[in-house]
Amino acid sequence: MSRELDRFYRSLADDTDPRGLIPPDQVRRHADRQARTRVAVGALAAAVLVAGTAVGSHFVLTAGATTPVGPPADTPAPPSVSPAQPATAPSPAAPTGSPRPTGSTSRTAPGTSMSAPGASSSARTPTSIPDRAFFDLAVANSTGMTPAFRSGPVLPALCGAEPGGSGVVQRRARTLAFKLADTPKGYVPDGSYRHSITIYGPGRAVDALAALRKAVRDCPEQEVSGAPGVTSRQRLLDSAGYGDESVLFELRRPFLDVNGQPNGEDEVRLVRAVRIGDVVTVLWEQGWEGTSSPRSQVDADSRRAVDAVRNWWE
Amino acid sequence: MRDERSFDEFYRSTSARTLRYGHAVAGDHGEAQDLVQEAYARAWRQWAKLAEHPAPEAWLRLVVSRLAADRFRRLRGWRTAVSRHGPPEDVRPPGEDTVLLVSALRQLPTNQRQALALHYLFDMPVEEIARETGVPTGTVKSWLSRGRSRLAELLPGVSAKELEVNDVA
Repeated sequence: MSRELDRFYRSLADDTDPRGLIPPDQVRRHADRQARTRVAVGALAAAVLVAGTAVGSHFVLTAGATTPVGPPADTPAPPSVSPAQPATAPSPAAPTGSPRPTGSTSRTAPGTSMSAPGASSSARTPTSIPDRAFFDLAVANSTGMTPAFRSGPVLPALCGAEPGGSGVVQRRARTLAFKLADTPKGYVPDGSYRHSITIYGPGRAVDALAALRKAVRDCPEQEVSGAPGVTSRQRLLDSAGYGDESVLFELRRPFLDVNGQPNGEDEVRLVRAVRIGDVVTVLWEQGWEGTSSPRSQVDADSRRAVDAVRNWWE
Repeated sequence: MRDERSFDEFYRSTSARTLRYGHAVAGDHGEAQDLVQEAYARAWRQWAKLAEHPAPEAWLRLVVSRLAADRFRRLRGWRTAVSRHGPPEDVRPPGEDTVLLVSALRQLPTNQRQALALHYLFDMPVEEIARETGVPTGTVKSWLSRGRSRLAELLPGVSAKELEVNDVA
């Protein structure tokens, strides 16, 4: 061993020691907090990083679809978190209905001519969804990250079902991160949404929500894609007071540690679909590096999502 | 069930040398604090299993190494956690040798820093480094040899010739 190099490393060790780490109880507390607020494979990061040209927004309101979300690019291999998205075998989503491509990735609000939701005048069915139809997070929940409008699935996999896949006139979807109000600036986000707005043909939005309820009921369990032997359980939850009607369900699966092993805790995702007339808006909370969905936050943002749709129409 | 006491004991008994290792691998003390604390956080999250691991400290170093290799980690949360702990105590500035070494290490690939740190901070022989890093011994020898040669170029008073004579990698 080189004595000279040894001397240099001894100096480094001596200089490192006085400036140590925080006490172990704080590390544990911080770790547990992170565990609560981490998401499976940051769907937002993946959505932003995974290449994909968003062309049009006429995608079906369907489960499965494209490739399961991969880990964020900044996640090192061994301590990577497993995807939260309990996707079953992906099934390509086929555009249905007779959407009119409107360049939905445009951030400008195209002119619209439409009736109020619920009015069954097909002649006044809108053909485009402007940015203002999408809600703004409360200031306290804003991460400063710009929402990304991307194509892709707007519902988690549900045993291969494709609820709401027909009767679609127009759809736009985005992914946005949020933080909880008491999370300091600079922390990683506490969660992320896959947020979509779909315009259906007259009466078809009712069918879409009915199909979604049935799909959840018919899929109490499914194997998590990419995690053999790991099961996701789905169930409907009470959801009253949102729009004309709404469907809320959870996907519950074991939280997998950095080695892909269950650690005894659950990771819970919440998804709420709300119908406002012929429009359905879906908030699919996808977490952030393993976080579970905070119910109160999802409730609050669901209300904001409904208000934004109503304000758009009115 | 995770045992807080055993984790805290593990933390207290290993954190100093893990931080040294992190410093030598990351080439920056502040960054080393972040990634070492992140590594311990990950250890705590799966402590129920890791406590039974035959070499939890080696597992920890592996996480530190891989975190250090990934410059895009979001570790800023630890800065906040540290700041909540209060202002750091006054410590003397790092010595000249440390400054020079850290500056030189930043010019080496992570795998060379890792091998050198295990060798010089933990006195590990080549075979043990190979086991821990999961590469053949020849690769470790290469890392050490190249790392030392580069350090000899960058550090004053370190003779490449002396390295060749004294360091049998």
